[in-house]
Amino acid sequence: MQRRTFLQSLAALVASGALPPAISRALAADRGAVSVDALPALEGDLTLYLGRGEGGLYEDVLGAIKQRNPQLNLRIRRGPTAALANTLVAEARAGVKRADLFWAVDSGALGLVDDAGLARPLPEDIRNQLKPGFRYPSWSPVTGRIRTLPYNTERIAPEQIPDDIMTLADSDLNVGWAPAYASFQSFITAMRLLEGEQATRDWLQKIKKKSRSYAGELGVVLAVERGEVDVGFANHYYTLRLKTGKPDARVDLAFTRDDAGCLLNASGVMALSEGETPMNFIRYLLSQEVQSYLVEEAYEIPMVQGVAMPQGLPPLQDINPPEIDLTRLADLRPTLDLMRDVGVL
Amino acid sequence: MIRFPRSYPVAALVALAALAPIGVLIVLGADAAQFFDSHSLGILINTLLLTLFTVIGSVLLGVPLALLTAYVELPFRRLWLIALAAPLAMPSYIGAFTFYAAFGPGGEIENLIGLPMPGVHGLAGATLVMTLYTFPFVLLTTRASLRSLDGSLVNASRILGLSLSMSLWRVVLPRVRNGIAAGALLVALYTLSDFATPAIMRLDTFTRVIFVEYNAFGLAQAAMLSLQLLVIVAVVLYLESRVGTSRERPGRTLSLWPNRWHIAGASVAVLIVAGLAIGLPLFIFAQWLIREGSGGFDFVYAWNSAYSSLLAALVAVVLAVPVAYAAIAGRAGRLMERITYLGFGVPGIVMGTALVYVGLQLPLLYQTLALLVLAYVMRFMPLAVGSVRSTAERMDNSLIYAARTLGATHREAFRRVTLPLTLRGIVAGAALVFLEAMRELPATLMLRPTGFETLSTYLWRVYEAGYFGRAAVPGLLLVLISGIALAFMLSGERRAELTMLNDERS
Repeated sequence: MQRRTFLQSLAALVASGALPPAISRALAADRGAVSVDALPALEGDLTLYLGRGEGGLYEDVLGAIKQRNPQLNLRIRRGPTAALANTLVAEARAGVKRADLFWAVDSGALGLVDDAGLARPLPEDIRNQLKPGFRYPSWSPVTGRIRTLPYNTERIAPEQIPDDIMTLADSDLNVGWAPAYASFQSFITAMRLLEGEQATRDWLQKIKKKSRSYAGELGVVLAVERGEVDVGFANHYYTLRLKTGKPDARVDLAFTRDDAGCLLNASGVMALSEGETPMNFIRYLLSQEVQSYLVEEAYEIPMVQGVAMPQGLPPLQDINPPEIDLTRLADLRPTLDLMRDVGVL
Repeated sequence: MIRFPRSYPVAALVALAALAPIGVLIVLGADAAQFFDSHSLGILINTLLLTLFTVIGSVLLGVPLALLTAYVELPFRRLWLIALAAPLAMPSYIGAFTFYAAFGPGGEIENLIGLPMPGVHGLAGATLVMTLYTFPFVLLTTRASLRSLDGSLVNASRILGLSLSMSLWRVVLPRVRNGIAAGALLVALYTLSDFATPAIMRLDTFTRVIFVEYNAFGLAQAAMLSLQLLVIVAVVLYLESRVGTSRERPGRTLSLWPNRWHIAGASVAVLIVAGLAIGLPLFIFAQWLIREGSGGFDFVYAWNSAYSSLLAALVAVVLAVPVAYAAIAGRAGRLMERITYLGFGVPGIVMGTALVYVGLQLPLLYQTLALLVLAYVMRFMPLAVGSVRSTAERMDNSLIYAARTLGATHREAFRRVTLPLTLRGIVAGAALVFLEAMRELPATLMLRPTGFETLSTYLWRVYEAGYFGRAAVPGLLLVLISGIALAFMLSGERRAELTMLNDERS
């Protein structure tokens, strides 16, 4: 779907003023994505803390939702996901409440806020829409992303990349990374949980010697393509997006097997205040239109049942993500302490 | 009963407010796990090296160019000076942003001409960028000192047999040492407080690490690092207060008449410097604008920038007037004024850290425009104070006495004589505060209300997301508005910022 058709289809119903016929039936059904046509209009004030703008695509989604719901006064605070999660916890501790919703690019950050007891439980119908295995009581995944190793196709051959993330530290490859980026920190959390504290510390120390830091993971992929480094650590979609705009880009994707290096993580959303409006907002994000838009334009993996997968990604059965409960990625504090201790943050 | 000057109560309040952030940081920092560890040592070394190298670089660049613009009878002298002072209108992070994108393998320059370019990053890159955008401080202070010297001494030394270069070295330079030092200390202060340039150049300095800590909401650790940074700033401010000027009876300014080759050589040098500092960023932005258009940009960002900065300028001036008059009125007032100067030494990121904490304690202020404007005012009011005071001091007091003798009340004399005569200084001070608030980045990132995006925060967002092309419109607008404000300021009061520091030394 093109961006324009998406915006039109999401906005179209405003003019007709038609009310959705069978909201309750559509919402209660355990059979995947609901069309926005079946969703109630959003009204009133909502403050959304948005972990990173994702270069305009999340903005497009929010813009379309705003356009479709003129009665909605949506205020957005943007920032790094981890920073906003920490802000929410600090605000709660100080007795300040500003946000109604938190849309994070990383489930670890959502878990952090959830652990502080700030999230509202999700109704049944929202959870039933999601793919089995991704149903959580108080937050909903929106899209999935896989940790990958983008590599420069001119500098190295794919065989040079180990399929074990831990042995990568002993290779002679130059690495680009974005340690301040929330997805990266979740990846390290996963490594800590899977391999243990000491192994992670050693790994970070070794990689640090051969790495260059970037502000975000798009920056990492661009640096790989520019040949500044051999490989990078980044979510899958940055590479796919780069290659759409530049088909001859000197970058391709490599995957490790069954370890933190190919963690399947999710962006997600949670409601922080009572009421129907925040929940309905979440329903919009899980709608057929928004899900397919994010798949087609952003190459993210849909989390709602019955939405097609993005192109350019190897089939999911060929990728071997580690078995890990995403909420455990909330255990971020020891990761940050470890990273700071090693001096990569 | 002792009668206090009327300006004292307000000035005292403002001075107290200026001390508050430091108090907040001390309270916050008390919770920090460690006062200083090996990681802090690395940050300290990076920060000091960057400051030292930038100071050296800007002196090496600024002093020869000051000699050139002060003494050499070039065609279009005024134009040369404007070209060389222009980098002051450009926030250094715009330079860092475009340099980062232009150089290096696969950078804009390589894409354009096919020649591989070295990357600009790390300590060397940060030094290069900071030097290009701070050398005008040295240029302007040095030039002002040079212009106040008597040229006949040089003529005398040449008659006695010294070559021109030797007489400049042995007769002129020793007498402008203080001018050079004043500029160099300004450069040091600017370098210490800059956040985005080291961040873009990926150099771990205090400002960058404070931001990382803040983002993890390690407010205690951020406060501790802030205090460490403030110690260095305090040393610079102390050195700054020790630099005195030696006044000379002004004589004829030295004039040197260059031949054609000299002019050509000087032009090349100036072209390279101005071309790198101003030309390259503008060129890169133009490139991006042509390639990507103005997508994603909303003019509300420009309005938000201008609106919050205007508010800051207004409030700063309203508070600066009593502080400036208090400073003239007596010793206590002078002390109060001195205290408000602290704010100028508090880097934006430090002010932000302190005020975020204040906001969390006072939810009424948290994430409001008021708190953001307060941060701007506390940081930049000293610029307005300096500007107002220097005009007020130059005013002839007998005019006020005359007005009083003719029957005007205190109030009327102030309204009808003092205020109109200091208006130029007030306008210049306001323009200066506006200029600085417009480009302030870290405090704006931390304190802005939800949904409130300014030119500088949008630029930062674009940089972080890697969508460089979208920086073109906000970047160009920021430069344009800064340029206008600078022109305004120069017309209202010549170089108020430098005047302020010159006055402080006198």
